[in-house]
Amino acid sequence: MKNIYVLLIAVVITLTISSCKKLDVPVESQYVTANFPVTSSDYAALFGTMYTNLSSNYAITYWRMQELSTDEAIIPARDGNFDDGGQYRQMHYHTWTYDHPYVTGIWQWGFGGINNCNRLISLTNASQAPAASKAASLAEVKAMRALYYFFMMDTYGNVPIISDFPVSTLPTTQPRAKVFQFIETELLSIAQQLPSKTAVSATNILQYGRPTKAAVFALLEKMYLNSEVYTGTARYNDVVAMADSVQKNTNYSLDARFRDIFLPTNGPQINETIFAVPYDQQIPGNQFTRFGFFAALAPSYGFNVGLSIAMSTTPEFYNRFNLTGDVRNNTWLNGPQFIPDGNGGFTNQPANYPGTTTQIVITPNLILIPTKPMDLGNTTASQAEGVRSIKYYPDVTTIQATRLNGNDVPVFRLADVYLMKAEAILRGATPTVVNGTLQTADYLVNRLRARANAPAVSGITLDLLLDERARELSWEGWRRNDLIRYGLFEKDYPLPNDNLTMNKDITRRIFPVPISEIKLNPNLAQNPGY
Amino acid sequence: MEKNYKNVFKQVLKNVSQLCLLLCLLLMSTNRLLAHQQPVKTIKGTVTDEKRLPLPGVSVTTRPSGSGTTTDINGNFTIRTTSATDSLRFTMTGYTAQSFAIGSSSTLKITLQPDVRQLKDVVVIGYGTSSKRDITGSITTVKADEFNSGVLTTPAELLQGKVAGLNVTKSGDPNQAPSVILRGPSTIRSTGGAMEPFYVIDGVPGASIDLLAPADIESIDVLKDASATAIYGSRAANGVIIITTRKSKVGQNRLSYNAYAATEKVSKQIDMLSGDELRQYLKSNGQTLIPVLNDDGSNTNWQNLAERRGYSQSHNISYGGATVNADYGASVNYLKNNGVLKNTSLERTILKGYINQRFFDNRLKLGITLTNSHTVNKDIIQQYVLPGILFYLPTVSPFNADGSYKEFYSRTGSGTLNPLSLIDNNFSNNDNNKTLINGIAQVDILKGLKFTLTGSTQKDQNNYNRYFNSASGLAVNFGGQANRTSYLNTSTVVESYLNYDREFGLHSLKLLAGYSYQQDRTNDGFGVTTQGFSNDNLTYNNLYLSNPTSLSQIGFDNNPISTLRLISYYGRVQYSYNSKYLLQASIRDDGSSAFGINHRWGYFPAVSAGWRIIDEKFMQSVPAISDLKLRAGYGVSGNSTGFNAFSSLLIYGTPAGNAKFLYNGNITNAIGPVRNDNPDLKWESTATTNIGLDFGLFKDRITGSVDYYIKKTSDLIYDQYPVSTTQYFVPTYTANVGSIKNTGIELVLNATAVASGSFRWKTSINVAHNKNVIENLSNDKFTLNFFQTAQLGGKGQSGNYSQIVQPGYALGTFNLWHYLGKNAAGVSTYQKADGTTTATQPLTTDAMIAGNAQPSLIYGWSNTFNYKKFDLTFLLRGVLGNKILNATLAGLNNPVDSKIQNIPRFTLGEAYTDINAYLISDRFLESGSYLRLDNATLGYTIKPTVPAIKSIRLYLSGSNIFVITKYRGVDPEINIGGLTPGIDNNNFYPKTRTFIAGISASF
Repeated sequence: MKNIYVLLIAVVITLTISSCKKLDVPVESQYVTANFPVTSSDYAALFGTMYTNLSSNYAITYWRMQELSTDEAIIPARDGNFDDGGQYRQMHYHTWTYDHPYVTGIWQWGFGGINNCNRLISLTNASQAPAASKAASLAEVKAMRALYYFFMMDTYGNVPIISDFPVSTLPTTQPRAKVFQFIETELLSIAQQLPSKTAVSATNILQYGRPTKAAVFALLEKMYLNSEVYTGTARYNDVVAMADSVQKNTNYSLDARFRDIFLPTNGPQINETIFAVPYDQQIPGNQFTRFGFFAALAPSYGFNVGLSIAMSTTPEFYNRFNLTGDVRNNTWLNGPQFIPDGNGGFTNQPANYPGTTTQIVITPNLILIPTKPMDLGNTTASQAEGVRSIKYYPDVTTIQATRLNGNDVPVFRLADVYLMKAEAILRGATPTVVNGTLQTADYLVNRLRARANAPAVSGITLDLLLDERARELSWEGWRRNDLIRYGLFEKDYPLPNDNLTMNKDITRRIFPVPISEIKLNPNLAQNPGY
Repeated sequence: MEKNYKNVFKQVLKNVSQLCLLLCLLLMSTNRLLAHQQPVKTIKGTVTDEKRLPLPGVSVTTRPSGSGTTTDINGNFTIRTTSATDSLRFTMTGYTAQSFAIGSSSTLKITLQPDVRQLKDVVVIGYGTSSKRDITGSITTVKADEFNSGVLTTPAELLQGKVAGLNVTKSGDPNQAPSVILRGPSTIRSTGGAMEPFYVIDGVPGASIDLLAPADIESIDVLKDASATAIYGSRAANGVIIITTRKSKVGQNRLSYNAYAATEKVSKQIDMLSGDELRQYLKSNGQTLIPVLNDDGSNTNWQNLAERRGYSQSHNISYGGATVNADYGASVNYLKNNGVLKNTSLERTILKGYINQRFFDNRLKLGITLTNSHTVNKDIIQQYVLPGILFYLPTVSPFNADGSYKEFYSRTGSGTLNPLSLIDNNFSNNDNNKTLINGIAQVDILKGLKFTLTGSTQKDQNNYNRYFNSASGLAVNFGGQANRTSYLNTSTVVESYLNYDREFGLHSLKLLAGYSYQQDRTNDGFGVTTQGFSNDNLTYNNLYLSNPTSLSQIGFDNNPISTLRLISYYGRVQYSYNSKYLLQASIRDDGSSAFGINHRWGYFPAVSAGWRIIDEKFMQSVPAISDLKLRAGYGVSGNSTGFNAFSSLLIYGTPAGNAKFLYNGNITNAIGPVRNDNPDLKWESTATTNIGLDFGLFKDRITGSVDYYIKKTSDLIYDQYPVSTTQYFVPTYTANVGSIKNTGIELVLNATAVASGSFRWKTSINVAHNKNVIENLSNDKFTLNFFQTAQLGGKGQSGNYSQIVQPGYALGTFNLWHYLGKNAAGVSTYQKADGTTTATQPLTTDAMIAGNAQPSLIYGWSNTFNYKKFDLTFLLRGVLGNKILNATLAGLNNPVDSKIQNIPRFTLGEAYTDINAYLISDRFLESGSYLRLDNATLGYTIKPTVPAIKSIRLYLSGSNIFVITKYRGVDPEINIGGLTPGIDNNNFYPKTRTFIAGISASF
């Protein structure tokens, strides 16, 4: 009988133990669908992803596509360093391919951002928030989505329009004009639901870095100015109308000191910034000092971090900074270097190579080594070739591990609104009266010249206006856009000993759809010429 | 469909248990029927072994009635028999069973002879054992006396070169576990040991190998094909390594002491220029070094400064005993392994104790085993030191005149930080404490029917500490940076299973049905980084005293607690007829919480068959052949290793790198989706077909086996699978895509070459060929033609890839620029994609496929010589046909940069003007074939006449005595594991040459 008891016990134990077949383990240390988003802080943090995504690539990769493809910025190799698979010279010579890392990266950045916005829209729609706050949230997300779409349309031309999430079928490429129309319709429909800049600093702090009415108007102004490029139809009077919509809000005004707009301490207190991407030692994505400053000068500027020797501007571009007294000339480092005075000027104390008494001398010409592709060599002298920029003034709180700048990078500011309006007038739009003043092209340009302490201009032409844009907006990410509008994107600027030449095909005015994306979504059509 | 299938299986399982139950009841009733009253007689006797020593624990059964007893500690037994009893049967594991007709005698003296074959050939097969003759799968068993000797810390090292198809690669780093690949890589995941075999230690699945002291290991069974491993289902795709530790045998009272002392030295350095040679080279090319900063007149050999002779020692004391009803044992193991690079060491103490006791006529066995392993790893920041000792200028001294470390941070190039300062001013210390408690309860319910319940819990507490002091070049102006992390990982396993083993005439049947529950909770803890200490004296010990000046100087680890649960049901049937025709089938139903809600359960079936041809009549006419068996099997196993609990979920997080945004003037965490969810994520499944032949010739003087296998993994999981951002917001997806295949053949030959008088020579050779190929990377939803891996960096090559994963090619296929020699000016030229030659740096699109890192042949040849009291063993092993990308040499080969970094002697053959010499190309893709005299050991055994001492063996051993290779790097034994195998990129901890003196004594 004992056997039976033992057997029964064994069977009971077996069955009891094996009865557990539950595989659901509660997640205790991650936010997942079950526990997020719940609170209003959750939604705020969730909305933050639109902005972290923007800051992640705007001032480096996206910026490089807009600037390295022009005369405004160049990253020459230094004896093989900074060749990096040819990615910088491909930008310079317009020989990028459909698998260039920037082409792939910025597409993923833009459409990742768009899909994220779409996701936020469906989450907002499903949330229990009051109707008014829902509407405000939707306007904010749609404005950001429109901005991403603008970047994609400007960079890649023909792109798919995706406005819902989840995406059940792989979307199809739409012509650029249609994308333009989509963005325009979106922006017009939400503009009035967005907040306006006020005279109250607390409100401005809340709005800073987020879309406002004026940001939408400035974006529309930019779209209308380039409308002929994007759609084939010029809309210069709409440019003027949008510029005036911005100016209707008199809380926007030019700041007295040009330099202040770009300092590491810039922020909501800058009155002419309409929309900027905030950066900080904790918000990575701005490395202008790391790449665009001169490494050996770091101690003279009060910080001790190893920097690259990579990025400068071209002599042709630098030569536009030729107006006497123009403070904007001081954004460049050229010639013998001195210790800065901390106020935008310099002492007469020479800045030397560390540990030596040799003064640092930067030379503007980029003289290539004959056999190497876009390579200056890596001697002390060749390292000092190329005019460096301190427009985004070095942030002395930078650390070696991250080498970040805390300078916020403006996307739209009042100066650009003025210059776009001036250009539209030169291209045939009617000047208008704003706040009691007739704003002609000369008037608008001279507002900026006066602020910069540069001589006034009279009878400005389109060509001179392009130079003025170069002076005012250098390294602000608009050069490619400007040159394409002017038909000058294919103008080359050969360097001494150049053994490569620019691909002048106008199909280069838009970038290719990344091959990796076409492989993953066969409904995408490649742009012509690639 | 899936669900139905599952239900059916569960029903079958239930039926099996019911069947067992029924069967048992039936058998019991027959017992009762036979046991009617008979006249009684008492028989006494003694059982001895072949040396006439008493043999306890022998089971004595009456025939045919079947009542029984066992012998006591003196080999004595007493049994009551009835007149119906005609004989007694004496059985014991390891001895040939014997029957004795009772007749009239009442006092017996029985001598049992050891069964040589059975003693050797017990094979652990997972939830049971089997004799080798009955095995139908591909299993290699390695016993303790065949293990490699050396300063070895992991079981895989004990087997290196001994098991066909097992590829083990190990550098000289005492803290680096070897990479172990069995029969080629069968997954494209490499995290968390996804390519490594699964370890089962004394029946505990997934127990840590750190708990093992090599001297405690009795034997290791390597289960290679799915028909053998499928019983471990979802974790068995890379093979299963079952480790059995030493246990006391009945009547034994053992005490042993094993110890060795070892000295290790770097076996090869890279031949870099001395300071004077570099100065001379530059001078002859019209160049000079920047005085003082780059040249202070020194001749510094940085490799010598970083390296040292490493001394290691190991002690193991083990004791135990066993009576008829109980066995117990304990061991203490201490190992200190000093690495050949300064400040690197491993120190490990393992304590182990177990006790098993039997009750109710040995019907219930209760046992508990406790193991604790405490390891301290001291390490340097290898990713800086290893390139540093090569690249750093030999023309500067390590110290300034005031004794501080000499640094020139503004120097560009690859040797910017003083390597000696890196070693002395930065250190890490990892303190790991693992405790395994393992309990077992075993009930012999009925004859042949056994129920086993085991429970184990393993706690793994890991404390990692790192400090960069205020003089560190890695934390300039930080005032010291400290990093402390503390994590607890807990693993709980419950297994319960029923075994039923019976023989019915010529039929033998073994049944197994079981259930397993495992829960792993990992990363319970936190990690903090902070900086700014007043001085370096407290290092990382008091973070409160740090003084970070901004928030970005404090960091928290992002290591969420991950709890994974695995539940399995399994069953196995083994049937043999006349020990001639063998059949085995098993099935395992595995569920894991790692997978998508729709596909958490997976089925892993296996069938195999064996035919012992030697037992057929017609074989009697071929006397030369003494053993012949054909095996064939097919099975499917899974791979759930390397997942966390979140693999299939939508996770909201703060993406590393760009987590913060400005919100109302405050810098705020953004929280968004960082992982696309995949509710359809399911098991990878590896199907293996294995055909094998075991043979013996000339009375088994020569034995061997041949195995052919096809191993195909489908539903490969790749967690970086690119998806269209027009559809998803995260550009990568964790998905089941594609398949990978390994086919191969393995040959093992063992021979007793000489056996004459006191001289014996045994030799064993194993050879394995494997061919790996990625079959495809697509499924019905996604299509991918290839993806690229192995971003090695290098001057001007940031973002370039060196390997490609592409259908039709093996994992580890190189995709490189093609070198076309030098042009007239001495400049390296390369082939562009359009076929033209260029003397400038090519584009990434110019790379082309150039060989792969998988060896076509791995082999080992071990030999044992015995002469009187001497024994000598040596092992030669090697690989053939693999390629190694020597990116280290490529990076060093930079004549133009010799003003800022050192060059190897190799570069003296390059023109100074060769501006492309350093580019990573197929010029530096080298043959990785080698032949190594891995180990040679000479031992002398003393058998004293003192009865207290059983034997003392003294031995001398050398490891890595020589290696024959064309490879130009430090050593061709480059890590073959992971997604990017076969790359030497300034990351190779030097291989060592070791000499050992050891003693092993038993009392």
